[in-house]
Amino acid sequence: MTVEISASEGGIPHNNFLGIGLVGSVVCLYLAYLNVFTGMDVFSVFGGIAAVFALWWGTDTIKNLCSYGLGTGVPSAGMLAFGSGVIAMLLATRLEIISPLVIPVGAVVIAAILGAIIGIVADKIVNMHIPVMVKALTEMAIVGALTLLGLTAMASGSFVFSELVAGTALINVGGTMIELPSFAASALGGCVLATLFMLGAIALQHPFNACLGPNESQDRTQMLALECGFLSMIPVAVISFVFISSGAALIGFLVSVIGWAYTYMEFIKLSKRDAYMWLDGKPILEKGGE
Amino acid sequence: MESLLVGIGITAIAGSLAAVAGAAEDTESDIGSQGDPNSQVQLAPQMGYINRIYNKAISGEPPAYALWCAMGAGIAWALMAININAILAIVIGSALAVFVQGIYCTTAYLGRVSSLAKFEQPVYIDIIKSVTTVTMAHAFVAIFTCVAMCHLMIVALGHPFPLPLLGIVWGLALGAAGSATGNPYYGKERQYQKYKFGAGLPISASGDIVRYAEAGQRSSLDNGWFTSKLAGPASGICFGLIVFLELWRTVLFESIAGGWGAVIAGVVLILIFMVIDRYVESWARNTYGPYTSTEEASS
Amino acid sequence: MSALGGGGGGEGMDPVGLGIGLVVALLSVVIVYILAPTTAVFALIGVIIGGALIGFGIHFVPVGGAPAAMGQSPGIATGVAMLATGAGLAGLFGGAWAAELGFGVALAGGAIGGGLMMAITCLMVNVVYVYGMGIPAASGKVDKDPITGDTFPAYKSQGTEGHGLPFISYVGGVIGGMFGGLGGTLIYLELLEVYKETLPQILSAGAEDVIPIAVGLAGIFAVGMFLVNAVLSAYNITGTIEGPHDPKFRRFPRAVIACAIASAVCGMVAIMLVAM
Repeated sequence: MTVEISASEGGIPHNNFLGIGLVGSVVCLYLAYLNVFTGMDVFSVFGGIAAVFALWWGTDTIKNLCSYGLGTGVPSAGMLAFGSGVIAMLLATRLEIISPLVIPVGAVVIAAILGAIIGIVADKIVNMHIPVMVKALTEMAIVGALTLLGLTAMASGSFVFSELVAGTALINVGGTMIELPSFAASALGGCVLATLFMLGAIALQHPFNACLGPNESQDRTQMLALECGFLSMIPVAVISFVFISSGAALIGFLVSVIGWAYTYMEFIKLSKRDAYMWLDGKPILEKGGE
Repeated sequence: MESLLVGIGITAIAGSLAAVAGAAEDTESDIGSQGDPNSQVQLAPQMGYINRIYNKAISGEPPAYALWCAMGAGIAWALMAININAILAIVIGSALAVFVQGIYCTTAYLGRVSSLAKFEQPVYIDIIKSVTTVTMAHAFVAIFTCVAMCHLMIVALGHPFPLPLLGIVWGLALGAAGSATGNPYYGKERQYQKYKFGAGLPISASGDIVRYAEAGQRSSLDNGWFTSKLAGPASGICFGLIVFLELWRTVLFESIAGGWGAVIAGVVLILIFMVIDRYVESWARNTYGPYTSTEEASS
Repeated sequence: MSALGGGGGGEGMDPVGLGIGLVVALLSVVIVYILAPTTAVFALIGVIIGGALIGFGIHFVPVGGAPAAMGQSPGIATGVAMLATGAGLAGLFGGAWAAELGFGVALAGGAIGGGLMMAITCLMVNVVYVYGMGIPAASGKVDKDPITGDTFPAYKSQGTEGHGLPFISYVGGVIGGMFGGLGGTLIYLELLEVYKETLPQILSAGAEDVIPIAVGLAGIFAVGMFLVNAVLSAYNITGTIEGPHDPKFRRFPRAVIACAIASAVCGMVAIMLVAM
């Protein structure tokens, strides 16, 4: 006897999620790049919104993939997405040598190639034989790469490699504290990417994993995806205090908290709508009365 | 010599922090039912057994704890980078990680149980109100000790990895060790307490978890009391030994034979554990003996 | 069972897919050979071997999944990918620490770290089953332990498929941990070498200064690649496996090839990071 991993049919078609998620995420990444044009860093918060778009899209992809019965759990799909996504994203940040503006689109392309290859390997060699495997893993790699680009941009103000390795640390030089450049205090040197990686990986698989069941409904699952996205932005906003100005970090923090609070309240409302009964301090209601 | 003493001292502290982390991690994942045993809580309404257990389906324990510890470590690293005191940074990092964990717990319960409406499982809001904070408290202990241990490894023992990366590494290992050791005890002994001791659960009994228990209708809070007597300490010993022996064999023996001393020490340790395991296995076979008659293991 | 079986079906691999995969892997090596410094090709070969070792090692680890948590099937009650990743990363911790002492020592340290974690974990699992639950270890797939000769049918509770960790599963777990730690550490060390060599030029900094970046990059790449390989192997195992004596173990060639190809492409991307 095993738990049935079931999900709802119908609703908004998956390709709508793909279109809106992909375009929205890339546009927000370019908005985050306004940091460079304006010389301020208040636009870092758009990196977080890009991540929310990508996670919202990726949730429907995971639902699509896991409804076929993978044999393993849902979390491994999230790990696969981000494992391939982080590799693609890091290469994409180096595309600055062509032009920094290429980076978001470059990340999509590299992640798509990587995801497609891993999908072919999983489908044909490991013999998963799931019809949507290649497409789903391609999408998930792109989602992983875009989420990581977005969260990195939110944390450090930029997704360009040369800026990700630049950091300053207060070092005691002869009694006075001087700010000196230090690789160890940079975003890549301190491997903040590790935290962002796990934040995204759990946020990607949680909505479907937490909402699966016979009464799963698409709008509730997607609302939870938005909530997980904004929730992930909160610790990133705290980390961003190191790399961007306090004002910009504070704006990011406020946007994350407000966005999270709203989507959380909406999710609770939708859960109340879908639940069999909403009881407070009542005993077990055995089936068939009593 | 002095650096060796400091090394051994730090190893001992790290080992004890790891033991506490392991125990707290396992108790937390039993109070808020998580991981493989939770599949039974998910299955129960399907089989007609309505329950008041906290169906916390976040993911398995390893990735979940990798996230909490990486978050705690990342925020602590960031706060230390703006020159906040290390201990305060780790406390704040762990607190924020616990906040995120608590939210994930509530959305997991609401999401899963709302989707079980077809099987007439109600959503009990008082479960969220009473159990979530207890889960968060245990998680805080686990995260704080784990991140503190990682910080000590970097600062005092000179490990090259930065704090967030060590947070993932040891968070995942913590979840894996605690999950492996504690899950069967919670899953079989506590969830299926009414079935006879000393045998595995027959497949026909899947889903028939205990719902009416010693303190009235069972709440997940009661699970902590039970599992902290054996599964929690066992997980603590497991993870504590892993961290302690990993550090101990390096600190003491790495200077011998250009590093190969630590490797040989590790091989010897593995062989010792293999012998102990063989002893435990034979003891069980000789003391318990084979299953004799064909009586069912259910009451 | 033949490794290159006919198209489709549960056993064997799809020849078209295999062909595409091998071409892709070869292409990755060629691209690296052309665009990157010469030593990078050897690094890529090392990464491929590391990925293959991870894929191979995971099939040794005894995982029982959800039924094991109720004493219904033998093995450890955690997911395959995550348990193996936990052991592999614990090994990576040891290997990274010993990196400056030499290549061989670091690899051995990584392998032993992973093996030690699995040894302790498997022992404590058995302790909980025996002393906490009163259940002896018994396998469901074989009647006799290949190593110790213990017989299992009489020690298997009725209605279950076995429980606990028989000695063969224990040994399998330790071996799996060792291969996982070895593979992960190999990937990390190879990438670290490439980055230490090339980053000073890219960042216009001294060799000592770039070490944090090299370690951070190599570390997160190792974690990412470990997860990709672990999940691919978990897909191959489809959930649970008792250890090397399980018939499912004979599926490992598929996973080894799959992980090698995936690691080739991921390794190429990781090396292109500094080759551009």
